[in-house]
Amino acid sequence: MSQFAPLLELVDIRKNYGAIEALKGISFSIGKGEVVALLGDNGAGKSTLVKIISGGLEPTSGRMVFDGRDYEARSPSEAKAAGIETVYQDLSLCTNVDVVANFFMGRELTRKVLGIPVLDEKAMEDVVAKALSSAGTRIPSLRAKVETLSGGQRQAIELNRFVHWGGKLVLLDEPFAALGVDQTRRGLEMIRRVAAQGIGVVIITHIMQQAFQVADRIVVIRQGLVAGNIETRNTSPDEVIGMITGEQLAVAGAAG
Amino acid sequence: MDAMTPQTRRTLEFVLDNLVWFMLLAVLVVFSAFVPNYFQPGIFANIIEASSVLGVMSIGLALVVIAGHMDLSVESVAALSAMAVGILFCSAGIGIGVDLQPEWLAVPVSLFIALGVGAAVGLLNGFLIVRWKVNAFIVTLASYIWVRGLVLALSGGRSAQDLAPAIRWFGTQRLGIDLPGFTFTVPLTAWLAILCFVVFSFIMAKTPFGRHLMMIGGNETATFRAGIKVNKLLIISFVMAGAIAGLAGWLLSIRTSGATANLGTGLLFNAFAAVVIGGVSLKGGVGALPGVYAGVLLLSSINTAINLMGLPATSTQVIHGLLVLAAVLLDTFKQTLRQKLA
Repeated sequence: MSQFAPLLELVDIRKNYGAIEALKGISFSIGKGEVVALLGDNGAGKSTLVKIISGGLEPTSGRMVFDGRDYEARSPSEAKAAGIETVYQDLSLCTNVDVVANFFMGRELTRKVLGIPVLDEKAMEDVVAKALSSAGTRIPSLRAKVETLSGGQRQAIELNRFVHWGGKLVLLDEPFAALGVDQTRRGLEMIRRVAAQGIGVVIITHIMQQAFQVADRIVVIRQGLVAGNIETRNTSPDEVIGMITGEQLAVAGAAG
Repeated sequence: MDAMTPQTRRTLEFVLDNLVWFMLLAVLVVFSAFVPNYFQPGIFANIIEASSVLGVMSIGLALVVIAGHMDLSVESVAALSAMAVGILFCSAGIGIGVDLQPEWLAVPVSLFIALGVGAAVGLLNGFLIVRWKVNAFIVTLASYIWVRGLVLALSGGRSAQDLAPAIRWFGTQRLGIDLPGFTFTVPLTAWLAILCFVVFSFIMAKTPFGRHLMMIGGNETATFRAGIKVNKLLIISFVMAGAIAGLAGWLLSIRTSGATANLGTGLLFNAFAAVVIGGVSLKGGVGALPGVYAGVLLLSSINTAINLMGLPATSTQVIHGLLVLAAVLLDTFKQTLRQKLA
């Protein structure tokens, strides 16, 4: 059994495109503070599943329970309001303004001067500094325009913003595809810290090594079904590859 | 990372951000040194005075360009507002000479009409662009044409003269330092333009509205996803651009004490030049209004130099064209440099 309190539970999620069954009944759950790596070959149904969770697609049948309540998102903004978001690199940042402006996008703190709302830059900067430092993220200058920051730093800003504004479950689609070795290492650390705050994290990746470095549990989707759902410490890369490809391993678990 | 210290980097970024002011300073120094009679308070006052109409118009244009759009209609809108004021408050030509009591009432009423005419066209532009998703370039190009056509139709190609004295007062009153031996005064219209720059610079830099426009220009999808009411803000920015163009038209009618059918022709391209030279990127999301004012002053300084040197007025256009080209190249160069800094 999982040591995590349940956050999102998927119950028999199916999705048909005409006669084609993309998802044939997916059931698994994600706990609070748990990092789940979602693995599977191309076309296995991972992205369909992610879109259903984040409001981009509606399932044909099945149900979801999120934070103890029935959950159904008809649009990404509904999912976001519920506390579920897909974080894409760059898509949700304005690189032409600074870190603070991005962090408070659409939620700016103001003070009234002669009845006119004026941006309270000092207060906002303090909040961002606090949020980033408590998450262990280091950004050279909060007043630097985001376009001058690295891919990893941008991702850190997005994740921290998500956490700060009450996000509960974050979906990361190939989060490290564009990052270097060192940035990836820091990104993985950041995911652990985000999870440590009780936030559920689903990462979709092709890189087995990353899944094993960061995930508490690995869920393998194969041909629209859950082919494996196992705690990371109880499995091995070879076994997971077997689940992905569907081949039986003659010597599974025998080595070592 | 290269060996650049944060200090030199900050200095370099400061220079890049305020490049147009350094250019203005350089140009003024060079002209003062080499153009006879350039270096005197009266000339500088003249530069500021000549910048008022173009300056005001550039503000509105800059707002929509910063938000990632385009408004080609500002020139025609200014002409329409000027014509409306001209027809209503001029006593000669096609002017019908509306007589308000007390006389000063003509000032707020004419201003209100000019702003209203501009805002109405801006609202139409904004609505078509945002709600019907028509390209801003096309919509405002159409407005540029039909609004000018409306001016021609309203005036029948004739002009209105002799603007009501109460309104003219704005063009004749000067304010500034007036000491024995040293006089530096500019007309109220120029002060009005400066006031506009101060107010809109403040709005863009310090209020959520300005911040949101900037972010929309940077990444419209992201701002939408963040729950910012992008459509509403864009429509407001087009209404503002229209109203500000209306104000420019009001100033234009004061300067010429009336209105002609071809009033303000060519201002659009100067406004674009000023906006681009001022550091606003046509891609959106980059630029600040103080820079635009510097751009306007730069253009005006060059015009003045051309006049003083007795060069043919046609050379002004060539020089403006080259200046815009230089500004765009400079913009590209700045971007490359910034990427290197990053």
